[in-house]
Amino acid sequence: MKLSTKLTLFITGSKLAIVLLFIITLPFLVEQIASQFTNYTLKQQRKEVLKNINKNGIAYYLQGDESYGSYTMLKEEFVALLPVNKDLKADTIKDAQRIIENDTLSYRILSETFKFQNKNYLLEIGKTSASINQYNKQLQQFASYVLVILILLSIIIDLTFIRMVIKPLSKIIKTRLINRKFPFKLDEHPVKTSTTDFKYLDESLALLMTQINEAFYKEREFTSNASHEIMTPISILQHKMENLLAEEDLTESAALAIIEMMKTLNRLKKISNSLLLIARIENQQYQDKEDVKPLDLFNLIIEEISHRLEEKNLNIQLKINKDMVLREINKDLLYQLFFNLVHNAIKFNREGGNISISDNFTAKGEYEISVSDTGTGISTEQLPHIFDRFIKSNATENYGYGLGLTIVKSIADYHHLNIQVESELNEGTKFKVFFLNWKSTKQ
Amino acid sequence: MKVLIIEDEKTMAFEMEASLKKAFYLCDLAHSFKIGLEKLKLNQYDFILIDLSLPDGDGLDLLKEAKKHNAEAAYIIITARTNLKDRITGLDLGADDYLPKPFYLLELQSRMQAIARRKFNIAEDLLSIGNFQVDIKRRQIKYELEEINLSRKEFDLLSYLLLHKNRVLTRVQLSEHIWGTFVNDDYDSNYIDAHIKNIRKKLNCHANTDWLETVRGVGYRVKQ
Repeated sequence: MKLSTKLTLFITGSKLAIVLLFIITLPFLVEQIASQFTNYTLKQQRKEVLKNINKNGIAYYLQGDESYGSYTMLKEEFVALLPVNKDLKADTIKDAQRIIENDTLSYRILSETFKFQNKNYLLEIGKTSASINQYNKQLQQFASYVLVILILLSIIIDLTFIRMVIKPLSKIIKTRLINRKFPFKLDEHPVKTSTTDFKYLDESLALLMTQINEAFYKEREFTSNASHEIMTPISILQHKMENLLAEEDLTESAALAIIEMMKTLNRLKKISNSLLLIARIENQQYQDKEDVKPLDLFNLIIEEISHRLEEKNLNIQLKINKDMVLREINKDLLYQLFFNLVHNAIKFNREGGNISISDNFTAKGEYEISVSDTGTGISTEQLPHIFDRFIKSNATENYGYGLGLTIVKSIADYHHLNIQVESELNEGTKFKVFFLNWKSTKQ
Repeated sequence: MKVLIIEDEKTMAFEMEASLKKAFYLCDLAHSFKIGLEKLKLNQYDFILIDLSLPDGDGLDLLKEAKKHNAEAAYIIITARTNLKDRITGLDLGADDYLPKPFYLLELQSRMQAIARRKFNIAEDLLSIGNFQVDIKRRQIKYELEEINLSRKEFDLLSYLLLHKNRVLTRVQLSEHIWGTFVNDDYDSNYIDAHIKNIRKKLNCHANTDWLETVRGVGYRVKQ
């Protein structure tokens, strides 16, 4: 699950829980508030009444009567003022029933005794219980609506904010980690973020990449230097053997021994040369790029290698579009790439087998060239390792030295060509090379 | 012909000298930039072979200097450095050829012959073997007046054998000559045999080719 989704879900969940709790406690709260408010109103009214009495005398209410009583039309509220026994003392707010004009109703009643001109009076102000709770339902509903709207709003805000905050993370992943070609290019700017964690992550990744690059460059330099250093001793040996072979009084067995030595030395030389070639490709020493017609390239390769086809009685089919042009590619390297593939297709083929070279367009608009054979094939376990150095897929026989496909891979990597292999044991192998940069000269 | 070999690896210089002497070249050796320059100032040479990585200086600088004193000489750069830049700079500075180490001594000689042919007009262009005439420059082979059609590789192979006639050439020497330093995966291929077979087949229609010998286990030789 994505981090932003996870965060949003969590925040939404926790908000919902809190809201639920609030909605459950809402009736109780509203009731409390209404009751408090009623008490407050009653007290305010009492204050008003007492103020009037103090100001205008009790007669203001009594008007000569023994007691005073007043109520609203629907009897929701009433005020009563009556003289009481001297000893009676009350100062309460409580729920009680009163009979007003034959109606027995429940009231919240404020009762208070007070003295005026040495007489004890009881003041009662009442409000029906029904009127106290009459707004509760609407209030609750309204509060719930407002809450839901607020929650939705806050979720939207959260989501936007989370997205904004997390954006640098996906940018770090995208620019630093996904689809990176090795060795990494490090001239990129740090990802912009005010989150220190992301900054730290970004910096650590950049540091790690620098270290990997350094290790890689060192290894490459070593390969290159080692191969160079080997060349001079190989030269000396080679020259000595050559001069020895030119001696006139050489016996046949000595000559044969020298030949064997020369062959072995030649092998060493080729390994060294191959490693150097790989190092040079990886060091980007093949800068020349041009348009190349694949058909011409394959014709050249087949001409070069035709005697080997005849030797093994192989049948080769070349189905390459004659108008196709591959763009911005190093011709020599591409030649080497396909030469190695065709060479392998011959080497691992059976007597009288087939080799097919054909092109195609993929759904993604790539131009695909495939080289397939009817040879020994590669087992599933070995398939992932065929491009590794010095790994021979056919270990039982002394074929080559295992750098041919490594060269193919480094050339493909250098030109950002995708390369795929399909193989079935004893059925054959198919190499596919995909080109993105191509054009057709056909009008 | 006088050759100056400027090479700091003494063993290598000696082997080159030995091989060139057999081919009747007069050799002079220098194992450093300084000695090389001294000899260049004192003597005139036909060929100057320069190793690029000398202990006391860069061969490319020596090449520049040498041109002032030995302008007529042919220069061949010999180096273990294989980067293209050096090669281009070397050729720009007026080197006639560039041989990456390791190379076969026979290859060196054939390059020298090619330069001699091109630059000094002294080596023969027209060779004859058996009843065939070979024109190295035009890359033609004729039987009496009829031209025989050989492929590029076949002609390279045959002319190489002809230029080193009476010497046994091994398959690796031959294959390096026609393939150059192009890297291929096979170290023990018999494609040289296939080419020789084709050459024999094409020539045998006209006359016999007993002069093109197979030396069992070793290689091939043109005997005259």
